Amino acid sequence: MSAISGRAFEQAPKHYRRFAGPWTYLFLLPAVALFVVFIAYPIVWVLSESFFSEGNDRTSTFVGLDTYLSVLADPVFWIVVRNMLLWGLITVPVQMIIGGTIAYFIERHTDAWRGFFRTMFFLPVVTSVSVISLVWVQIYAPYYGIAQQYLSYFGIEMASSPIGDPSTAIFALIVVNIWQWTGFSMLMYVAGIANLPTEVLDAARVDGARGLRLAWSVIIPMLSPVTKSLLLLGVIGTLQTFPIVQLMTTGGPNHASEVFGTYVFRTSFVLGDTGRGATISVIVLLLALILSVVQIVYFGANLSPSSRKEESA
Amino acid sequence: MRRRHHPTANRVIIHVVLLLVLALWMIPEVYMLSIGLRTPEQAFDATLFAWPLTFSNFITVIRDNPLPMFFLNSLIVTLSTVALVVAISSLFAFACAVLNLRGSLTLYATLLTTLMVPLASLVLPLAILLKTFGWVNTYAGLVFPYAALGVPFAVVVLKAFMEDSPKELFEAARVDGCNAWQTYWHVALPLVRPALVFVGIWQFISTWNEFFLALIILTRDEVKTLTIVPMQYSGLYMANPGALFAILTLIALPLILLYVVVQRAFVRGLLAGAVKG
Repeated sequence: MSAISGRAFEQAPKHYRRFAGPWTYLFLLPAVALFVVFIAYPIVWVLSESFFSEGNDRTSTFVGLDTYLSVLADPVFWIVVRNMLLWGLITVPVQMIIGGTIAYFIERHTDAWRGFFRTMFFLPVVTSVSVISLVWVQIYAPYYGIAQQYLSYFGIEMASSPIGDPSTAIFALIVVNIWQWTGFSMLMYVAGIANLPTEVLDAARVDGARGLRLAWSVIIPMLSPVTKSLLLLGVIGTLQTFPIVQLMTTGGPNHASEVFGTYVFRTSFVLGDTGRGATISVIVLLLALILSVVQIVYFGANLSPSSRKEESA
Repeated sequence: MRRRHHPTANRVIIHVVLLLVLALWMIPEVYMLSIGLRTPEQAFDATLFAWPLTFSNFITVIRDNPLPMFFLNSLIVTLSTVALVVAISSLFAFACAVLNLRGSLTLYATLLTTLMVPLASLVLPLAILLKTFGWVNTYAGLVFPYAALGVPFAVVVLKAFMEDSPKELFEAARVDGCNAWQTYWHVALPLVRPALVFVGIWQFISTWNEFFLALIILTRDEVKTLTIVPMQYSGLYMANPGALFAILTLIALPLILLYVVVQRAFVRGLLAGAVKG
């Protein structure tokens, strides 16, 4: 970290700093204050709370790593881990592939309709997730839902609602997530494709790369910054999955679709076990940090399409 | 100008396929509206469309429920958050990108760790913190945490834009005797306007639809935002899907309409951001 800032100082023209008196540190203050109070302090709090257990007489006793061990021994925790793995491994690539394909055809093969397609495919992202969840409960419903009705035309029979069956619940929720967030991947790829340098594409075309071949060997590699940022956002997004699951199954039936969000919510607010809730929070936090750091080390930092700068900073 | 060599038939096929995929993709949205427009007799029909249409569900739910109140709550929370995020993040980005304050990049790197923190791990401590502040069931209880979570992304975008702005303009402002605040206000902010708009729109969308913290902090009806009321209506209108889906449509509509209006500016900001690399 100090190396980064050190280099930036050398690059920074001296006079910029001169026209900034000490009072200019006030520019930084509000953001830092928000960070300390609402991000850093809560993190420190869950960390310390996770080592204590609240007794019957409302006194806290230091229990060390006991709560961690008991969480790790909880079968529900491992269901959550499995569900989160499935969630991330399915939603992120599927959203990328569908969103990227749609973006490719919109950007490369439409003109007059481009704005219309870009807007329409993004609409699920801006539709309130609590509304979406209830609509999909209705779609999945047995007898009067349209899913069982229309899928039966294709020979797929659904005897009960897929969110009511422990073996299918998580997949049924994943479908909803994919439906909602594919538009986001689409728009990110739209931005990436629209900004591809035309010279490179023309050169590739002169070399005889057309259609699929152009897409596969020129466009996809050049879009890797977008893919990396979608991956990073996808991992964090997966770990904070909550509304869809809470509203459609509340983690059921019998914990089959439990995710970290509902697990934290149930433990902390329904069961009121603060120490255990804090411990799970810390585990989620650690997972997020580890996964993000691993990605940043392997792929470089790419948090937005505009952040390619970060890599060189 | 490009793609002259593409046969027209090919383009027509691509448009038709895109429209078909879109039609498929829009089924849940259409279904929502369609159930809202049904009479009680058709409400449980397992079809996407049902005739005839009736607006009576919409009239009933608008008459019987304080939807404008929830809408206003959402609007207050969202607009306050957007204003706070835009102001605070642009100040911070300016101090990093233009003023190059000593230590600002270390603070920037620290701030960025927020982007790796899932809200799921923060709700419990935030709930307890906000209880200590006496901010449960207040707008402030949502606005400040949302702003804290939103600022880092906004800073990333704004900092990149400011770094790409012509340095001579800042230099000229300094020579003309502008102090840091005047340079920020009269030079930096107008320069990065597309980025401010982009950041503002994205913050608006994510704040308007945030569910987890709102569910925990807002328990009294008078302060509830639009995103957390569908749950209670799904119980209230369990036997009357027409009314339930009318109300869901009304809850989803404001943000959809807003996005359609601002999408051009939003995409422009996104495209401009991607050029930066």
